[in-house]
Amino acid sequence: MEKLTSPYKWGMVIDLDRCTGCGACVVACQAENNVAICDKKEIAEGRNMHWLRIERFWVGEYPDVRVRFLPVMCQHCHDAPCEPVCPVYASYHNPDGLNGQVYNRCVGTRYCGNNCPYAVRVFNFYQHEWPKPLENQLSPDITVRPRGVMEKCSFCIQRIRRVKETAKGEGRLIRDGEVQPACAQTCPAEALTFGNMADPESRAARLARSPRGFQLLEQLGTHPSVIYLKGGGREHVG
Amino acid sequence: MKRRTFLQLSGMTAAGALLAGCQSKNEKLIPYLIGPDEGVTPGRATYYASSCAFCPAGCGILVRESEGRAKKIEGNPDHPVNRGRLCARGQAVLQELYHPDRLQQPLKRSGARGSGEFTRITWAEGLGLLTAKLKELQQEHSTDGLALLTPQLSGSLATLVTAFMRSFGSSRHVSYELLAPDWLRLADRQTFGQAGLPFYDLAETRYLLSFGADFVENHLSPVQYGNAFGRMRQGRDTVRGHFTYIGGRMSLTCASADRWMPARPGSEGALALGMARLILEEKLHDKSALAANGLRPEELLGRLKPYDLPRVADMTGLAKESIAEVAREFAGTGPSLALAGESVAFQSNGPESVRAIQLLNMLAGSLNRPGGIYPAAAPSGPDNSFTQLMALIESMQAGRIKLALIKGDPVHAIPPATGFQQALDKVPFCVSFATLLDDSALQADLILPDHAALESWGDVEPLAGSRRPLYGLMQPVVMPLHDTRQFGDVLLAAASQLGGAPAAALPQKSWLEFLKGTVAKRVSGKMGEKFEARWVDLLRRGGQFESNRGPDNVYRRASASSLPDPARPRFAGDETQYPLHLQVYPSSAFTDGRGAPFPWLQQLPDPMSCVVWDSWIEINPVTAAGLGISQGDLVEVASPRGSLRLPAVIYPGIRPDLVAIPLGQGHKGGGRYARERGVNPLALLVLVEGSEHQPAWNATRVRLTRVSKSGELVTAGHPQGSYRSDLIGI
Amino acid sequence: MSDKRIPVSKSDTLMNDEMLSSLRPPGLAWYALIAFLGAVVAWGLFAFGYQITRGMYVTGLDRPVMWGLYIVNFVFWVGLSHSGTMVSAILRLSQANWRRPILRAAEAMTVFSISVAGLFPLIHLGRNWVFFYLIPYPNQRGLWPNFRSPLLWDAMAITTYIIGSVLFLYLGMLPDLAVVRDRSSGWRHALFRLLALGWRGTAHEWTVYHKASTLMAALIIPVAVSVHSIVAWDFAVTVVPGWHSTIFPPYFVIGAILSGVAAVITLMIIIRRAFHLEEYLTPLHFDNMGKLLLVISLLWSYAYFVEVQTTWYAHEPIEWEVFSFMSGRYTVPLLVMLLGNSLLPITALCFKRVRRSIGAMLVITLLVNVGMLIERFLIIVPSLSHKNMPFVWGSYRPSWVELSITAAAFAGFALLYAFFVKLFPMVALSDVRELEARSVSVPLGRAELPSIAGKE
Ligand SMILES: Nc1nc2c(c(=O)[nH]1)N[C@H]1C(S)=C(S)[C@@H](COP(=O)(O)OP(=O)(O)OC[C@H]3O[C@@H](n4cnc5c(=O)[nH]c(N)nc54)[C@H](O)[C@@H]3O)O[C@H]1N2
Ligand code: SF4
Ligand code: SF4
Ligand code: SF4
Ligand code: SF4
Ligand code: SF4
Repeated sequence: MEKLTSPYKWGMVIDLDRCTGCGACVVACQAENNVAICDKKEIAEGRNMHWLRIERFWVGEYPDVRVRFLPVMCQHCHDAPCEPVCPVYASYHNPDGLNGQVYNRCVGTRYCGNNCPYAVRVFNFYQHEWPKPLENQLSPDITVRPRGVMEKCSFCIQRIRRVKETAKGEGRLIRDGEVQPACAQTCPAEALTFGNMADPESRAARLARSPRGFQLLEQLGTHPSVIYLKGGGREHVG
Repeated sequence: MKRRTFLQLSGMTAAGALLAGCQSKNEKLIPYLIGPDEGVTPGRATYYASSCAFCPAGCGILVRESEGRAKKIEGNPDHPVNRGRLCARGQAVLQELYHPDRLQQPLKRSGARGSGEFTRITWAEGLGLLTAKLKELQQEHSTDGLALLTPQLSGSLATLVTAFMRSFGSSRHVSYELLAPDWLRLADRQTFGQAGLPFYDLAETRYLLSFGADFVENHLSPVQYGNAFGRMRQGRDTVRGHFTYIGGRMSLTCASADRWMPARPGSEGALALGMARLILEEKLHDKSALAANGLRPEELLGRLKPYDLPRVADMTGLAKESIAEVAREFAGTGPSLALAGESVAFQSNGPESVRAIQLLNMLAGSLNRPGGIYPAAAPSGPDNSFTQLMALIESMQAGRIKLALIKGDPVHAIPPATGFQQALDKVPFCVSFATLLDDSALQADLILPDHAALESWGDVEPLAGSRRPLYGLMQPVVMPLHDTRQFGDVLLAAASQLGGAPAAALPQKSWLEFLKGTVAKRVSGKMGEKFEARWVDLLRRGGQFESNRGPDNVYRRASASSLPDPARPRFAGDETQYPLHLQVYPSSAFTDGRGAPFPWLQQLPDPMSCVVWDSWIEINPVTAAGLGISQGDLVEVASPRGSLRLPAVIYPGIRPDLVAIPLGQGHKGGGRYARERGVNPLALLVLVEGSEHQPAWNATRVRLTRVSKSGELVTAGHPQGSYRSDLIGI
Repeated sequence: MSDKRIPVSKSDTLMNDEMLSSLRPPGLAWYALIAFLGAVVAWGLFAFGYQITRGMYVTGLDRPVMWGLYIVNFVFWVGLSHSGTMVSAILRLSQANWRRPILRAAEAMTVFSISVAGLFPLIHLGRNWVFFYLIPYPNQRGLWPNFRSPLLWDAMAITTYIIGSVLFLYLGMLPDLAVVRDRSSGWRHALFRLLALGWRGTAHEWTVYHKASTLMAALIIPVAVSVHSIVAWDFAVTVVPGWHSTIFPPYFVIGAILSGVAAVITLMIIIRRAFHLEEYLTPLHFDNMGKLLLVISLLWSYAYFVEVQTTWYAHEPIEWEVFSFMSGRYTVPLLVMLLGNSLLPITALCFKRVRRSIGAMLVITLLVNVGMLIERFLIIVPSLSHKNMPFVWGSYRPSWVELSITAAAFAGFALLYAFFVKLFPMVALSDVRELEARSVSVPLGRAELPSIAGKE
């Protein structure tokens, strides 16, 4: 039986002033988490499986035009709208503050997908295949999801677990920066900082206190674990 | 289940159900009931250090391997170039290894060239065929009939190739890449009298002025500069670096800028000189820096007379006020840094414009100072491989080339305007060393497939990556999947079979031996037991990242250097017939096309257009409306050289007189994911008159016509929703 | 006023014969109908099989529109199920005697439509084959379903409602089953003997029967109300703009009754025609049902207006975005819905001539249900299409699989009905006859109102 309380509350800080929109994190996430390869048709149907997307917004008109990038993954809401609606507890809250997803349990009602205001839940409409020998790239750390189930960003829970076990073996807590989700690890601009928000001295917790901090769709009261830092500048044009 | 457990569980469930309305109880219930996070079994993995050879930036990588298979590529945190970070492409290299359409053994052409019909042969037969052809040349005493076309190589492979060609007796090794920074080396040589590339201390700068240098996606060392950009913005406590971008198209890099100045294509050099003039006039320049570079302000100002503000504003199409404002900010906010990029360089007046931008760095005193620009410890490369390429094409046309060895995919990535593709038809025997049946391999008579990068030995000298010399090693992280051989091994085998001078020059039994030899020379001078230990250590760490040798090299203007004078740009295509400028730019995922075979990159939405699995043309909304074109329409783009059909993307971030098409798609081969997908805009390009030896790839004019509404464009973002950031308040 | 509730001039046997006419051996037309409906259902089953073997991609669903026609169907059929039990129970409790000939048809409709409705959540599952995870049963993993999920509430409510309305139907049918038992032979006789539970029609039996009927009617109403409230909670408890609305439960219930009443009228018209029951289902019945429909349509219109009005007044950007998108993208369906659910019934049903015109009533009631089907669609799909994150807005178009299964649902419903009418008495025989025994006409002003002599 696992402990019911946890010294960890995992969170992510996304600095929009650093993010260049490059998309490295998207591929990192796909590589780390056995995220399906979706062909053009599938994406045209609105069934892309990426767990992390870079939203790109145009603001203004030429020449006074800007672009805003917004990386969006599961916000691991502390009051997650996706959790209570799941009839089978496939979407659940774990003691570390993560929104977990039990693929085997999911019956595919897609109710959670509707109720996730961030639209980060992706559903396996297809049975995805990796043509041989591409399947060799699949990570043995996580399952390959069958058709009919919902999936989404897990904050790279397999990485958390691995470090947790190491730390447990050494009889200590996880050190700040010891866990890095794939997206944060690769981000060239270091726009993504992952860490334990329960530790006020962690890098993530310190960044989260920035006056630039805000949460996505804050007004809904979902209390996300992802804190965004506002992008600055971009006031001059011409 | 025990009765007690059952009762416990029932109790908890009931409690959970009762309290459900007010409290989230399942967080307690669930972990109690189901053990580990579902389907998560963190297994043991091994990491191997290696280097990314996808682009010349040469980032350090760690490859995660478990159960004998490579699983993921991550950045090597110890590598000074990328500091543990990687770009999207670097990670997708995994899919080269496991690509379902990889070439699995040597092939000999059986159908017509380009038909894709090949028969499988053994390596003995393949090597025999290659040596036979080489021997033929030797017997005919026309060893110069051998041509070798490669990307720009560094490290031991460059040494090997040079040695092979020299000992064989051919001078025709051309290392051409469409996007190679020859233009920057040339500018460095002309301005500073030294070969090489700059290293920008972007992280420490306070005012960044990029003239079309897209350092986030492609310029020189994208991961390094992407990282430096993040630090420039938010890495310092009190300073947030400012960034102004100049260029007619809002690139991915430009999207992060504070200010965008959409200057008319080809006018960037004039803009730089206009700013220079204003800085001198207002005496905002760094006086000591100017003196150190042997420049007198009055004299310089005199030479810059023609670049007065009204004229420059007129040439660039920008407002006088903003030009003046940016010039003052640039000179007044030290340290500042001006970058020149490909979209400027690939104009008919490119080289001069690049030098004009360098002048700005001199004026602001940005040479050799933190937050400024230093000479990089990069290996030197050709100043103008394009001239060499054109010479080779001429020889091919004249029938002087009997045997062409091709590494890379020049058939896809060289603009047809050079005549390369037709010239290749005149070469009686072509050998390709591809890993996939790419466009060039399709034209080959013999394919001797190379290992995938993750199966290969090698070394990499990162391009413009550091002020100090460093190099990365590549090591195989898995057993080769197929019956392939490394290019180096094939050259060595050929040399040995040829005997004579080649065999004498290249006595090494294997590419690994050769590699160790060159590395030994670098680190200690000799092979031997002591070296073996060192070698293992180097492999473990991924290369040699520290150097005792300090960065002694500095920039100083060469006294013979003339002042830049970017003449009015020339364009191919009559303005009345072809009213729009065309910019072709390297796709952030595919660069010149090498990324197209990898499904992860195809699926990755283009950061700016959000398009997946396709090509597109970017059109300003006003221009599009004038032509009756809407998002996703199929349009025809016609240049004086040819025409293409592709879907339209309405792109608010582009000048109304400019359209842009990304490079990288339109392959005839390259495996199932790349084949027959999108278009290759190189087909449209024209060699601008008077610039035949200067690759002015952004100087072609085009005309657009709407064809139909079914462009089959697929984007990841909702077309209307992409304009509604107001709804989420960002 | 010359409407007669029952043709008193006829002999008992004749009347029984006429009212039980649906039980006569089927003709060719019936077989043709069964064959047609069977074919449609078979096609729907094929489509469902196709969906199970291929995957949910054969639907038009996507991200963000993860619910589509199946859930539209679900809500629609649950709504229809309010016809019978609810209508009949209310009328029974309010002792409206004109209800008697239509009770059975209405109650049967409830049972069939709620059964059809109950199938849709299962059809719509991504992994139908593990649907039993939704059922609370002690299992080896010790894992119960999540009682916080409205889907669980749905499952409970619908199960309760199915059981309740079957009992309700059965209870009402008990004396009739005895009549049929006495008039039939062969396997039918055996069947009805079993079902009639030895009913003999003694006074004691009647007393108990009346008590039970009244009690059942009183019990079933809250269940019916709760069922559609709970279905409304599927939407109202979410944070989806356009769904998250407190008025949804009453609004859904009203909508359900509107669609149910309309469906009962449609059904009355069909049965009346098909089994020549013109003398039992008279214009009076249509008049009364028309009035009921009018009232409910007014209520519905009010609820709809309140819903739109609050959206407009609050002008919450995303809510307004959803509304503008809905009205812009689905203008024509929206207008048809407003016409069918509101404008047409409210204006036309004010006129007695219309209420008493079978043809007009057919058109109106059909349009009401077309409108209600559209309403379900317009609640579900546009809200999901333009949810909170504008970058992942999307659209939805049902695929042939979803359309086939929808068609099969209608056909299946009709098929069940067709079997039912051939097997069970369609008109509540004893209810009608009972009234005959007690009825007097009470003149009230210009109208002559039906009343009864004694208490039920
Ligand atoms: N059809 C069939 N079924 C059998 C048998 C048979 O012969 N045929 N044999 C039976 C017998 S005797 C046995 S013992 C069982 C074995 O059955 P399993 O216990 O299922 O053993 P494996 O199939 O080897 O899978 C073990 C998993 O552990 C992962 N793994 C590998 N290394 C590590 C590690 O270091 N850490 C962690 N956490 N995971 C790791 C692997 O990737 C793999 O997914 O199967 C039984 N079932
Ligand atoms: S990798 Fe970093 S910079 Fe690039 S898109 Fe992702 S968050 Fe932004
Ligand atoms: S972001 Fe969506 S999926 Fe993630 S926890 Fe919140 S509601 Fe659930
Ligand atoms: S789709 Fe799966 S996870 Fe989501 S609510 Fe349904 S059963 Fe739960
Ligand atoms: S935390 Fe992990 S799962 Fe989530 S977006 Fe990042 S890489 Fe993907
Ligand atoms: S920048 Fe170039 S070398 Fe570095 S990871 Fe990307 S592709 Fe590889």
